[in-house]
Amino acid sequence: MDNLVQNINYQNNSAELQKYRKDSLLAFQKQGLPTAKTEAWKYTRIRDLKNDDYQPAPQVNKTGGKVPFTAEIIEICNGYIVSMPKTVSGINIKPITEAAQYLGQTYKAEEYPFAALNGYYLDRGLFIEITGDLKYPLILNYNMVPEDKDYFYHFRNVIICRQGAKAEIIEQFNYQGELKSRYLANIVNEIRLEDKSVLCHYKYQNEAFKANHIALNAVQIAKDGKYESFCLQKGANIARNETFVSLNDEGAEAVVNGAYIMNGWATLDTTTDIYHLKPHTKSSQIVKGVVGGEAKGVFQGRIHIAPDAVATSGTQLHKALLLSDTAEIDVKPELEIFADDVKCSHGAASGELDKEQLFYMRSRGIGEDEAKQILIDAYLNDVINQISDETIKEWFKSLK
Amino acid sequence: MNAPLLEIEDLCAEVGGKSIIKDFNLTINEGEVHAIMGPNGAGKSTLSYVLCGKPGYKVTGGSVKFKGKDLLSMSVEERAREGIFLIMQYPVEIPGVPSTTFLKHAVNAIRQHRRQPELDTMEFLKLVREEGRKLGIDNEMLKRAINVGFSGGEKKRMEALEMSILKPDFAILDEADSGLDIDAMKIVAESVNRLRNEQRSMLIITHFQRLLNYVVPDFVHVFADGHIVKSGHKELAQELEQNGYAEYVREK
Repeated sequence: MDNLVQNINYQNNSAELQKYRKDSLLAFQKQGLPTAKTEAWKYTRIRDLKNDDYQPAPQVNKTGGKVPFTAEIIEICNGYIVSMPKTVSGINIKPITEAAQYLGQTYKAEEYPFAALNGYYLDRGLFIEITGDLKYPLILNYNMVPEDKDYFYHFRNVIICRQGAKAEIIEQFNYQGELKSRYLANIVNEIRLEDKSVLCHYKYQNEAFKANHIALNAVQIAKDGKYESFCLQKGANIARNETFVSLNDEGAEAVVNGAYIMNGWATLDTTTDIYHLKPHTKSSQIVKGVVGGEAKGVFQGRIHIAPDAVATSGTQLHKALLLSDTAEIDVKPELEIFADDVKCSHGAASGELDKEQLFYMRSRGIGEDEAKQILIDAYLNDVINQISDETIKEWFKSLK
Repeated sequence: MNAPLLEIEDLCAEVGGKSIIKDFNLTINEGEVHAIMGPNGAGKSTLSYVLCGKPGYKVTGGSVKFKGKDLLSMSVEERAREGIFLIMQYPVEIPGVPSTTFLKHAVNAIRQHRRQPELDTMEFLKLVREEGRKLGIDNEMLKRAINVGFSGGEKKRMEALEMSILKPDFAILDEADSGLDIDAMKIVAESVNRLRNEQRSMLIITHFQRLLNYVVPDFVHVFADGHIVKSGHKELAQELEQNGYAEYVREK
């Protein structure tokens, strides 16, 4: 893993950041890369990072990933910030290096090897502070330009929704050019919702087919704060979108939904870990996947209810559609309940396309492939329809 | 005499290894309405599924020609596009697929096959609303996922709507009146009668004579033990209603 820890000329090398990077490196070295024995990663094996000659991605200034609606757009390419929107009312956007006081406070570095590694490289990313009610969604447009070599980049965002603020943030991961090389995109979002703030966090992961995409969303929610998320994963060879949510005070609520579609040999992992620490907190999760080829879908979902957290509700549902005999699904739901008077449920189901439905459609003249696509669309729309913003909902329907 | 539309010769078919259709023969000419009546469990529905090409229904012998072409070599969707339509006894529910979306895919798949231009959204909605009105199907019902939560009557009306829009050359009605009250049955029967013309043929599969009071057949056949055991005209249906099927069912 030496190639993953390289000496870097940081743009900002303040004493505070030096210390943070050093602590992060220690946390990473203590854990190393996950192996088959690492419980949290037992279904998702990061096979090709160890022995390869990964290098920091070079600076490229390409933009891409258009959206069919009005939005404030931040362009990021190979992990470098390419362009920023002009001043936007209700939001302050600064380099991550100005968020030193907030770094590493939303998760435990010793439990997240890739986030720890991300901390060692901490130099590029965004410090987004939302103070008002954003009129348009803010889009983080991540582009990757793969070349002959295998690259990595690490990107860190600290997103703070101040009291009563309201925003929609969309992360979009795309690539440009030929698909020659592998790369690692390692993203950490540290998110804090203060009292009565609302953040809708949407993500579209459409990386190149040889990519490794690892993301941690660590979310801390204060009184009456609401976090709504949806992640559509479609690309990459190995991808993990992990969401850790801590519901820290009464009235805090989290919706952590997702969908994934894949073929070939990909592994797409959705991992959630939701902590109810106080009474009257609420969480819900719906994740639906469509898996074909020799691909593998992974869902690990944990709901933890602390002894004090009475009158809480936590629900979780994972469903997958298997399109081939060689497709695989690994599901690990966990409920840890230490309080009384809670409403908790989890469910998992996987199956094939319904033969009677297919016959019915074909008997009306609809071709077999088209009929399958209609059923798959309906299957995924079920979770996409949970998105509260109509425009973004329709956009996701067009992406899948 | 009109040209033959469907020619079934010595058809044998099995389901799950069990022989159900045995040396079945029937020719239906253009414009004719035939009724097949028979005791429950005789395999009447099997015949309709075999004609539609449903997976799991295995033809073990004989031939079926539709408009002179070999029907048995066609896929399910090819048969539908060639003009075969089955009103199913138990239409399946498809959650998440609005009825209009489903109908639009179907009508355009069939139009494409007939080398007609696809209908755009406006043309399609106009057609589906017009036909829907005749069947008492309103916009609200059209927006719902197809057949999901529909009552028995609503499901059959949706089947009738699909048939009215797809305008098949040959319609099979498989126990189309089951679960319907008299008013719903009249609505379905009217939609069938509206489609009757010189070219279009129908095969009505039913246990009871009731529907045949509203859709009057040209020929009635008694189906038992895998094939037709007696053929006649509409009077045969009344006879069966009075006497039952006992004389046609082989002692076992």
